[in-house]
Amino acid sequence: MIRVEGLRLRAGTFELRDISFEVAAGGYALILGPTGSGKTTLLEAIAGHAPLLEGRVTLRDQDVTQWAPERRGLGIVYQQYHLFPHLTVRANLGYGLQQSALSLDERRARVEDLANRLGIAGLLDRGVARLSGGEQQRVALGRALAPRPSILLLDEPFAAVDPATRRGLRRELRALHEQEGITTLQVTHDFDDALRLGDWVAVLSEGRIAQAGTPEEVFRYPNSAGVAYFVGAGNVFAGNVRRTGPAAGEPARFPAQFQSDNLVLDVLAEREGPAHAVIRPEDIFLSREAHPSSARNRLVGRVVRLERLGPSVQVHLDIGRPLIAAITTASAEGMALKPGDRIEASFKAMAVRLV
Amino acid sequence: MSRSRRFSALSTRLLVAGLGAVLVLFILGPLLRLLFLASPQSLAEALRDRELSQSIALTVFTATAATLLGAVLGIPLAYALARSAFPGRRLVQSLVDLPVVIPHPVAGIALLLFLGRRSPVGGALAQLGLDIVSHVPGIVAAMLFVSVPLIVSGAREAFASIDPRLERVARTLGDTGWQAFRRITLPLAGRSLLAAGMLAWARSVSEFGSIVIVTYNPKVASVLIYDRFTAFGLPAAVPAAVILLLLALVVFLVIRWLQPAEPS
Repeated sequence: MIRVEGLRLRAGTFELRDISFEVAAGGYALILGPTGSGKTTLLEAIAGHAPLLEGRVTLRDQDVTQWAPERRGLGIVYQQYHLFPHLTVRANLGYGLQQSALSLDERRARVEDLANRLGIAGLLDRGVARLSGGEQQRVALGRALAPRPSILLLDEPFAAVDPATRRGLRRELRALHEQEGITTLQVTHDFDDALRLGDWVAVLSEGRIAQAGTPEEVFRYPNSAGVAYFVGAGNVFAGNVRRTGPAAGEPARFPAQFQSDNLVLDVLAEREGPAHAVIRPEDIFLSREAHPSSARNRLVGRVVRLERLGPSVQVHLDIGRPLIAAITTASAEGMALKPGDRIEASFKAMAVRLV
Repeated sequence: MSRSRRFSALSTRLLVAGLGAVLVLFILGPLLRLLFLASPQSLAEALRDRELSQSIALTVFTATAATLLGAVLGIPLAYALARSAFPGRRLVQSLVDLPVVIPHPVAGIALLLFLGRRSPVGGALAQLGLDIVSHVPGIVAAMLFVSVPLIVSGAREAFASIDPRLERVARTLGDTGWQAFRRITLPLAGRSLLAAGMLAWARSVSEFGSIVIVTYNPKVASVLIYDRFTAFGLPAAVPAAVILLLLALVVFLVIRWLQPAEPS
């Protein structure tokens, strides 16, 4: 269990303030934030490496705020791995066992077991300088796991590996997490990590936790424009809401027009005035001809480029401003989309979330 | 146009090569001249010269003492300068570098005034039975004064080049601060620390200006060479000078070997 209460600390030139959250024993939580938002410093504060200006850190129901890092019983994996460059893979993996009560044979067995599970058994007697990014990542993970910490802190663990390796590592990490039951806190700038790994996610913005919840909640219902931009909600427009009809339902919403320069959208709103409109790329339907459908918003534009992201394709459109739609690879192939094509993008009034 | 540009590129290169050659000759010329001036007989004689060998032994001993003392005093400070932001850090850093810009006789006079028997500090040390001025500790003090900035700056750079997160990882793996320093940072900084120590040692061996004021006798090698030059002239000074030069060259090669290869 990790509990952080009212943390205030210095991160470079700014401060993190009012940071409070709890990760249940065995949970997998993520802190999301852009580069330079103080995520690493937050992890270091939990590990005992960064001084707190205010607040308390509780691990496994013990207040460890004043404890030295070596007493906190947690493992840390940094983005750049920070393997010990003067030691072999084996010595890196076994580093944290030097202080343990295990016999030499037990230590060797633990190192070899981890190396087998991480697929680096063949590298044990190599130096760490010439390992690939993925191999270094596995060594760093194994080194942190070797002493069987009950808490694992991960700092952007996939940022420095290629996408294919990243997908494999995500799966392995999730499996390891489930096997070892380690309470895991990861910081990342990649919302995909959150969607695929986390039970709970918090978004760090301007030194505070801007929003926290399940990844789906945060992804579907960003509570601020900052969070929406950040979690890759895709399309965020700033503009103004003007009521066009009577309110209905619970909570009461009324039909309205959202206007952002020359872009006018039909929306359902709770209040008038300035707002950000968030449209998820998945909620946008693309067609070559005007299509009879119930969608209220129809925008015509051109395809700028296509970006394949696993099973989906992100279609970057120019509708007088950039708009991103996500469609399945199959439908992208079916439509034979290519840059320069004229296309209609449509989406329902319900799909526009005002924040 | 392109021909004239090619011509100017060529002439620039020739100019740089010419200036560089003058400088290299200016350094090598005097040293080679000195090396070849000493006849083998005079060198053999110099090696049998008891006063010279005693003086070289004294120089090696005092320079080693000054370097070790400088390491004990300077390495912890260098680590603090590299790793922690404490109030007055820049000031301390500047103060430690100060001896580099002070003319050596000025340093000698300042040390004389500070450590002499009539000063409070020198007087107190003399009460404890430690005579400094005109004794061996005075040589060590002068050498320490001029060489310790090299240890502190070399060690500071060595520590600063090692990512502090390596120690943080070691700490989360169960090391105390000292264990993490000893097992991670010290081995990684080892060669650079040794190189800084050798540089400080060489600087101590070559010191003359402040030692000659603080402790003329017993004579370290540089003082002895100066003494022979003024008393008996050039031929008397050359063999001793050659021996000291050879010693310096050996140290130089060791330092070069210790320093990490430049990234290609």
